[in-house]
Amino acid sequence: MSQIHRLQPSRRPLSRRTMLRGMAGFGAAAALGPTLAACAAGATPSPSSAGASPSAGASAAASASPTPVPTPESELFVYNWADYIGEETIGAFEDKYGIKVTYSFFSSAEEMSAKISTGNSGFDVTFPTSTYIKGYIEQDFIQPLDLSLIPNAVNLAAEWVDPGYDPGNKYSMPYMWWTTGVAYDTAQIEDELTSWSALWDERWKGKMAMLDDVREVFAAALIRLGYDINTTDDAQLDEALALLQQQKPLLRTYTTDDIGVLSTGDVWVMHAWGADVYQVQEERDTVVYYIPEEGGVRGSDTMVLLANAPHPVAANLFIDFMLDAQIAAANTNYIGYMGPNEAAKEFIDPAILEDPTVNPDSALVAKLQEILDLGEDEVKYTERYTKLRSGA
Amino acid sequence: MKRDRTRDAVLLVPGLAWLLLFFAVPLAIIFVVSLGHRDQYGGVLFDRIGLENYLRALEPDFLPTVANSLKYAFATTFFSIVIAYPIAYWISRYGGRRKALLIVLVMLPFWTSWVIRTYAWMIILRDNGVVNSVLGAFGLPGPIQLLNTDLAVILGMTYGFLPFAILPLYVSIDRLDPALVQAARDLYASGRSAFFHVTLPLTMPGIIAAALLTFIPAIGDFVTPDLLGGAQTTTIAKIVQTLFLSARDWPFGAALGFLLIVVTIVGTVAGLRFLRREVIG
Repeated sequence: MSQIHRLQPSRRPLSRRTMLRGMAGFGAAAALGPTLAACAAGATPSPSSAGASPSAGASAAASASPTPVPTPESELFVYNWADYIGEETIGAFEDKYGIKVTYSFFSSAEEMSAKISTGNSGFDVTFPTSTYIKGYIEQDFIQPLDLSLIPNAVNLAAEWVDPGYDPGNKYSMPYMWWTTGVAYDTAQIEDELTSWSALWDERWKGKMAMLDDVREVFAAALIRLGYDINTTDDAQLDEALALLQQQKPLLRTYTTDDIGVLSTGDVWVMHAWGADVYQVQEERDTVVYYIPEEGGVRGSDTMVLLANAPHPVAANLFIDFMLDAQIAAANTNYIGYMGPNEAAKEFIDPAILEDPTVNPDSALVAKLQEILDLGEDEVKYTERYTKLRSGA
Repeated sequence: MKRDRTRDAVLLVPGLAWLLLFFAVPLAIIFVVSLGHRDQYGGVLFDRIGLENYLRALEPDFLPTVANSLKYAFATTFFSIVIAYPIAYWISRYGGRRKALLIVLVMLPFWTSWVIRTYAWMIILRDNGVVNSVLGAFGLPGPIQLLNTDLAVILGMTYGFLPFAILPLYVSIDRLDPALVQAARDLYASGRSAFFHVTLPLTMPGIIAAALLTFIPAIGDFVTPDLLGGAQTTTIAKIVQTLFLSARDWPFGAALGFLLIVVTIVGTVAGLRFLRREVIG
């Protein structure tokens, strides 16, 4: 026995205790990693643009705001999507009013909702999609704007004044708008596509994708069936579900990263947000976007003043500043989204103004439907969407 | 030494407090939320308390996703162990003085974000990615769809969980007294026979530990199937994420999550009891 022991090379094996100690440290990091990462990778119902569009060098100098203002607070806290504001906008605002701005990002509307629902998030201004406004008003998450501090509201185009979701623009000012339609790569597809049915075409099985968004996905099916995208009729919704279930085996994926998926070329036809295609075209200029002949969806993001905002005067001035013609134009030129600001059109890069993916003409826009918050009936959509995603 | 019960109780307090605060309480919260139902804003209402969300969860609509979750978890566990065992064996037997360094190398990928590593797989596997470009350079036909498939998901998950499998296997193999294998060889066992009759059974605790450490996170992983998978690779974890973030139906998501946790706990306890009874004795 002792001889065998002597033959063994002397070694101290790692004891289980030391190993577990080391593992615990790495394990904690590893376990937290996916969770923290997943928060960042969470679903984004609204499009988030990620690239720089060609800056037309619009000057960031704002035109003077005519109202005599009460003394604003010295600080402001703004909460917005990433890459959703002009490059120099914040700096220009800080210079003009001497207010220090803290600008934070969220990556999904849900994340933002969760934060402001606490009632004392510490933020003053945020940018919710218009569908949320009604709910926020009823839940007292936001407070009315001080319109006397927002004279630039006159710059808004007529169709954006007094919207259905917020009569009189009492609580919100529109920020950017977009359309949802279909994008496809002309390098791969010779046909000229014009309809929603392109996304159900067997020829491109495995090369198509849809947005990972409950209402958007159902809107596509409902428009194709000729129904209102805000319907609450169970029979119509079941028909839409059946149509989507037929489509599912043809799809490659459901994702909100339309920019990524179209840019890599894995997908040839995709349900997409128009302004995002503007950025795809920088990577892959053969991709085009169209609003289907049957109709499409339009939506908008808005600026709101949070209830319990610590700096309401500064917040109102900020919203006014964003409605300034040149500032709004600078924002659009940088992020590639179109704004509701009529006066800004003078300063917007003509390439953007003429780009039908970002700025379709008003005849077309009139055909588009807006997604509305259906309150208790939302569950009719979410239940069916869950069924769609989990079924075979 | 006399057993001091008070001292024992006091020493248990931190551990129990941790379990209570970070495990039992959240679990209870999830259960309570699952009893409610969604209000019109995506919040939770408790005017109708009941187990109806659990009945919904057991509907046959969800069977394909449960099947997917189990499929990926089992496949990932299997491949992880099959790949990890030779690696752990090699490090233990032939690592020599470099053993510690090799183990650090195994753990090194954890210093990079999980999501970034998964994105790297996307770049490798996509239609215009590394693999397909290489195949194309050799003149092989058309891009093969690798991304958004079951293969990609299992590959990504196995890659991610491999270190979880390597470590317990390494510890277990390292503790194996080589004298026992030598004894088997002395008794006329072939190399392969010695492996199957001595090494493998004696390292079974490591294999069980590796299996548990891989299976449990694998069944709950929603990042990898989301990024590398496609429309058909939906897992239960992804449905829970969709319910919490897109559909905003927290009670139903909580019910599904709770079921997942309970099943995992039951499975783990059963596995550990087997371990204690059959293997350690």
